[in-house]
This record gives sequence, structure tokens and C-alpha cells, in this order.
Amino acid sequence: MNLTTTNTGKEVLTRARKRWRWKREFPLHLMLLPGVIVTLIYSYGPMFGIVMAFQKFRPAQGFFNSDWVGWRNFEYVFNLPDFNQILWNTIFISIMKIIFSLAVPLLLALLLNEVAKDWFKRMVQTSIFLPFFLSWAVLGGVMIELFSLNGPVNALAKVFGVDPIMFMASNNWFVTILIGSDVWKGMGYNMIIFLAAIVSINANLYEAAEVDGAGKWKQMLHITLPGMSTIIILLATLSLGSVLNAGFEQVLILYNPIVYEKGDVIDTFAYRLGLFDQQYSPAAAIGLFKSVISFFLVSMSYYFAYRFNNYRIF
Amino acid sequence: MKRKNANYVLSAALIASMLVLPACSNGSGTNNAAAESPAVNAAGNAGAQEQESFDPMGKYEEPVTVTQILSYRAPEEADALAGVTPETNGYLKDLKEQLNIDVKYLWSVPTDQYAQKFSLALASGDLPDVMQVDLATFEQLRSQDMLGDLSEVYNNYASPEMKQIIEKDGGFSLKQLTYDGKLLGLSASPTGGTQIVWIRKDWLDNLKLQPPTTVQELEKVAEAFTKSDPDQDGKADTYGVILNKNLTGWAFDAKGLFYSHGSYPSAWLKGADGSLQFGGISPETKEALATLRSWYEKGILSKEFMLANEDKISEDIVNSKVGISFGEWWYPNWPLNLNKDNDPKAEWIPLALPAYNGKPGKTLNFRSLNSILVVNKNFKHPEAAIKMGNYMLETTKPKYTDKNSPDYKGASKGYIAQWYAPRFFYPGVFDLIMETVSKAVEEGKETLELPEDFPNAGEAQAVFDNAKKYAANPKDNAAWGMWFSRGAKDGGVGFSKKIVDDGLFVLDEYFGPPTATQVERGSSLDKMRDETFMKIIVGSAPISDFDKYVEDWKKLGGNDITDEVNEWYKNNVQK
Repeated sequence: MNLTTTNTGKEVLTRARKRWRWKREFPLHLMLLPGVIVTLIYSYGPMFGIVMAFQKFRPAQGFFNSDWVGWRNFEYVFNLPDFNQILWNTIFISIMKIIFSLAVPLLLALLLNEVAKDWFKRMVQTSIFLPFFLSWAVLGGVMIELFSLNGPVNALAKVFGVDPIMFMASNNWFVTILIGSDVWKGMGYNMIIFLAAIVSINANLYEAAEVDGAGKWKQMLHITLPGMSTIIILLATLSLGSVLNAGFEQVLILYNPIVYEKGDVIDTFAYRLGLFDQQYSPAAAIGLFKSVISFFLVSMSYYFAYRFNNYRIF
Repeated sequence: MKRKNANYVLSAALIASMLVLPACSNGSGTNNAAAESPAVNAAGNAGAQEQESFDPMGKYEEPVTVTQILSYRAPEEADALAGVTPETNGYLKDLKEQLNIDVKYLWSVPTDQYAQKFSLALASGDLPDVMQVDLATFEQLRSQDMLGDLSEVYNNYASPEMKQIIEKDGGFSLKQLTYDGKLLGLSASPTGGTQIVWIRKDWLDNLKLQPPTTVQELEKVAEAFTKSDPDQDGKADTYGVILNKNLTGWAFDAKGLFYSHGSYPSAWLKGADGSLQFGGISPETKEALATLRSWYEKGILSKEFMLANEDKISEDIVNSKVGISFGEWWYPNWPLNLNKDNDPKAEWIPLALPAYNGKPGKTLNFRSLNSILVVNKNFKHPEAAIKMGNYMLETTKPKYTDKNSPDYKGASKGYIAQWYAPRFFYPGVFDLIMETVSKAVEEGKETLELPEDFPNAGEAQAVFDNAKKYAANPKDNAAWGMWFSRGAKDGGVGFSKKIVDDGLFVLDEYFGPPTATQVERGSSLDKMRDETFMKIIVGSAPISDFDKYVEDWKKLGGNDITDEVNEWYKNNVQK
């Protein structure tokens, strides 16, 4: 995590100093090289394949000889009867996920920060972080059992006199479960970041506040939250780039035809289109569409992060 | 934070993931071709010398490299040589020693990942020299001119055994796979797929019920299985009919029930006007859905069948939770044998599809070819594919399958038959094995004597061995599974054969490759069908939604597909 911006500004370097700097930093650049090469090969090289989105791609002809069809693949995809619904599902699910994956860990971090007993704090922290390491392949089965008609959740509902609900086959509940389980699985990660941000707030501020007669609530409102605002806005803006990623693996494992209406997302659709129907070009068009939107959103969020937080990556 | 930064790079990479593999492997594909060319050239001389002899299993003078791909499962044979892998399979060793063919797998994946992997490999154009593909893939490869001509090498090199298999259908498949005088693929016509009903006989007896013969009777029995405690344990822990999230999947699905209603949801049948009509939109399909809907409401179906796939739902059979399943002949071998392990009282029998409205239930027979041997157009030794097929068939002769024979080539010696590629099956081989073995058992034979040219003798031998094991120990459920699925006259294969012999089937009249609109609209139409059918069954949509589905289906490409299918029918069948 490198938040400091190097400011070379108006400093004028003499030739000698420049050479000395080059000599000093050369090994560092060398160490960077493998990473750069790997990135070029695996991230930039494949981008060439984007041409597929504008072709009627036929494996035998390859990239160079397949017929060019202009925007026809995009027209085809956008005109698919269910595309609008899939797009809406995707955006709704991912925006909800973004909001709650910020709000819930923030709340947890604030609460956990007030816990005095260190061993208890660590235990809670670890147990909240644990699901982050589980894969959806495993969790999916657990979720289906958990929310099944004879599962613990319905058993609990029964205690309160609620009729059993088929959570996984209900268009009302399915999305809630998608979002809830994703937030639950990932909340440990952001929570740790927030906790780190809280720790880095100058303790003198709290002492001064106490002297001024501020209670815990006021301290949180006027010291902790403002102190964390940088990191909150930062996480929020950075997650904008993933607005079209609603969690492919999770949805694929949990959904079924009854909840297509609310649960089918762009990625699962592209998966069925590209890998089962072997319609490579339209699937590539969906991929490109997603990356263009993401690129736009990432640029925006980067701009905002810089504007409001003075945060820079490059 | 590093994770978030990395996300930029990662998301770009992931989003372009459809593009990643093609681009990478495209490069390596070219390399492969280059690397192999020396071998090809070297072997070219050998091919020239061979030309006069045309020995179906002649050994090459110089090694010939054949690239292949493989989908595999762990060996089923209990006595399989420990640690044997596709690469150390005895078959490959033999090919090298007997034919001087080096098989190289470009990749091998577990069976369930094959479709996905193959799709990616196809996109990259990185295809092996020899492979067996389904009809849709065949058509895709053919239309892109990627397939080599097999006419000459088939005539010259195919062994009598192979010709017998390929031409068992009177030249139907050869004709289907010949384009402009070029034979582009080899396939035996498919058999099997007959739908029957498996039912818990002990439950019927417990409730003093007769085996059902009509849909109405089946419903009564299923209701009793749900409500009258058929396992007599005092708990309401059973239900009637098993289904899973795929209504037309590979097992434990609703195909048989649709068929009973005269509905063939993915087939094309001849309508009153002589044109082909799509079964998925027929009024009979609506009736079948209405039946399923009422069953779901009555609790005959599991409330949560739509959440589990075939593998997962099979646990309900194993755990004695369900008493009726539509399906095929092989159930006794899995999962019914496991159910008997769990519940010694369990007894399963096959029944014919129930009658509906006075009409007997008829199963569906397919004619579309589904395992077609093709060679890459760039492959210099197409005859190697034929020779490998010849050799595969040679190894199924009694001499190699008899455990007491000195030439035995079986699992215990590291020969895993299911990893052989290409593989051919004599059409109707299961019927033949069933008849041969059940006759030998009836006559009380000690050993199974087979004629020298008996196809797939190893299979017959295995069924016979299991029949004897089962006779010696009726509690050996694994042996029962093998015997009752493949050997017994009243078991899976025997019962299915009787249904076909009695003419209780209809033919899917369309056996061409997927049409252009089918390819283009397939995923949308399938999604619409799955969603509508499922919602109707569980009651979250009214049954009248079916009519809307029919309209939408026609509008969203269905009418075009119907035209294309009938066009094909006119040009290929009626001419």
C-alpha cells in the first residue's frame, strides 16, 4: 500500500546526481523487469484477441483470415431478448455488493475497535476473515444445504412461526442471498483495511477530545470517521471498476432456471454462449463491452480519487 | 490495497479471458506443427513402402507421431494396475510396439471438464491429428474445411471387424458423413437411449400395489410412495418420483414422462402435413407439464429438485428416499447397487413407459451420429487413425480378454479400455452380450465360450463373471448391478430391447447438424424453455405461460429453425 506521492516537482537534478540515482535504482528496475514482461505477455498480448469481437471468428481461418463483420456481434448481443434484463441484474447485484461490502466491514471495524480485550478482538477478527479463503465451489454446497427446506435457516424461521421458504428457488430471496453471502465471505478483508486505518489515527486526537469532554460516540463521529474518510472513499471509488462483475463463480454455482429472472448475469450468460454454444465472437463482444465500461469507470474513479483524496497510483 | 491495484490489470485480463487462451495457444499451435513436420517427413517414406500391402495392422518402418486429446475417468475396474495413467496405458505401449505409432496427448482432462476445454481448444484452432467428436462439432469442422478425407484409407485399411461395425446400419452413417465424394468421418450408428421406468418393487409389495401401467396408475403409486410410508419406518421421509434441475438431462430426469405423454421436447417429429414439427412446443408437452405441476403440488416430486444436478440427486435413490425414476438400462450398475448396499431390502424392477389416454408410452430413438472419428486435414497419416481403430477392436477379441489367456490385455495388466481412442462399439453390442450371456447362464455353463470374432468379448466376459458371482452370493450388489443391467433378460438391456422389438418407439426425424439459427439462438431459446418449464412445474407461473412461450419461441428464431430443419429434411431425407 503506497499512498505517498513522490514529488520531484521543481527540484533540478544535476547530471552527476542523475547518474548516481540511476546507478542506485538500477537493481530495483531490474527486479521489476520479470513482472513487466509477464504482464506484457499475459495481459497485453492477449488483448490482440479483441479483434475477434469484430469478426465472424472461425477457428480454421484464425484471427487473420476470419471475415470482418463490423459491429454485428454487438448488435446481435444487444438485441438478444434477455440482454437488458441480464444487464440490469448484473448492475443491481454488483452495486448492492459494493455498498454492503463497504458498509458492513466499516461497522464491524468501528465496533471491533472499541473492544478492550485483545484476545477477543483477535479471535473475532480471525473468524470473520476465515470465509474469505473458502472457494465458492465449497461454499455453494454449504449455502444450498443451509437454506434448504430442511436446513437450519428454515428450522430457525419455524421457531418464530414462519412457514418454510424455498430461499434458493425464490426470485425474491435469491438476490438477497447472493449479496448477503458475498458480503459475509469478503467482509474480513475490508475490515482489516479499515482497522489499519483506525490504528493509524493519531492517538493524541482522542486524548484532546476526551479533555474537551467528548464521549465515545462524539469521538467516533468527529475523529475516527473523518480520519478514515480517505480510505473509505478510496475503496468506494476503486470498486466502481467492478460494476459489471457480479461474481461469476458464485452465481454459476448457486443459480437454477427458476431464478434466471433475477439471478442471470452477464458473465454466466457469456459463459453459456461462448463455451456451450461455441459462439466465440459474440462472447468476445460481451467481454469487450464489459472492459470498455470498466475502463471508463476505472478512469472516472481514479480521477475522483485524485480529486478528493489526492490519491495516485501512477 | 495491492489487491485493488492489481484489480485493474486483473480485470482487464479476466474480462478479456475469452480472448486469452485462443491467442496464447494459437501461437503454440503453429509451433507444434513445425515441431512435428520432421517426423511426418521421415514417416512419409514408410507410408510409400506400405502402399502395396495395406495391412490393417501393419507396422510403420519409421515412428509416426499421432496427437490426440483425451477425456478420462479413473479406471472402473477394481483390479486395475495401481498407478496406471493414460500416458502409461498398455494400449499406448502396444501401439508403439506393434504399429510404431507414438501417441502424444495435447491435453487430457477429466470427463466433466472436457466440453469446456474442447471448446477453448477449438477456438484456438489447436486441434489434434485424430479425435472423436459429436455431430455439431463435426459440422463446424467440416464447414471450415478442417477435416481430412478418409475414403481411401477406410477402403484400404479398415479391418473386417471395423467395416462390420461401421456398415452395420447398411451404409447410413457412411452416406451421412460423405460430402462431395469425400468421406470425412467414421461412426457407428447409435443405439440405446431407450427410456424405461425403474421402481421399488419392495415398496409396491409393502403397500400391496400392482406395477403401474398408465400415467394415472403411476400417479396413484407415486402418491402412495409419498404418503403411505412405503418403507414402513413410521416416518414421512419418502417421495414418489425423482427429478433434477435438468428436465432433459442424462439421468433422473423428466424425459420419460414427457415421452409417456407423446411429447418429445427436443425432437423433430413428422406432423399431420408431413413437415417436421418441433416437439418442445407441442400441446402434448403442455399436458406433460400440467401433470408434473400437479405432481409437484401433491408432493410426489421433491420440493427442491431444481436445486440439485444428477449426481447430487442420485443420493436420494441411494438413501431410499424415492421409489420411482425414469431413465435408462444402466441404473442397476449405478446408483441402484449403492441403494441395495445401504438398504438390503431394496429391490428394483424395470417397467415400460406408462400409457396415457389409452396410448402406450413410446420412447424416442435417435439417428444422429454422436461419436465420429475424424482426422485433421493437415495430418499426413490418416491411415494411422484407421489402424489404431483396428487395433482397438483387435484387443476386444476373446484371446485378449480372457483372464486365463497368455495374451490377456486387461486392467490388471495396465490396459484401461476406456482410455483407448478412437473407440468403436458394435451397434447393438449390448443386446448381443445380453443374449449370449443370459443364454450361457440359463444353460448353466461353467465358462463363457465365445466365437473368435465376437465383438467386445471382454465386456461379455465381465458380465458373465459377475453373473456367476451374483449367483454365488446374492448379497454381492456390485455383481448384481453388472448382471441386472447388462446380462439379465428382464434387466436393463433385456427389458429395453424388448421395448424396441415391440416397436414402442418413435424416431427423431432430424439427424442433421445444428442449423444456423439453432446455433445463434440456442442459448436464448434454451434459457427461455428451462425457465418457463421449471416455473410452470413449481407453480410460480400459470400453465398458460406455455402458450406465451410457444409464441415467443416462434418469434425469437423458432420459425426460422423450423424452416431450416424442413429444408434440410427435403434435401437429405426425402430426395
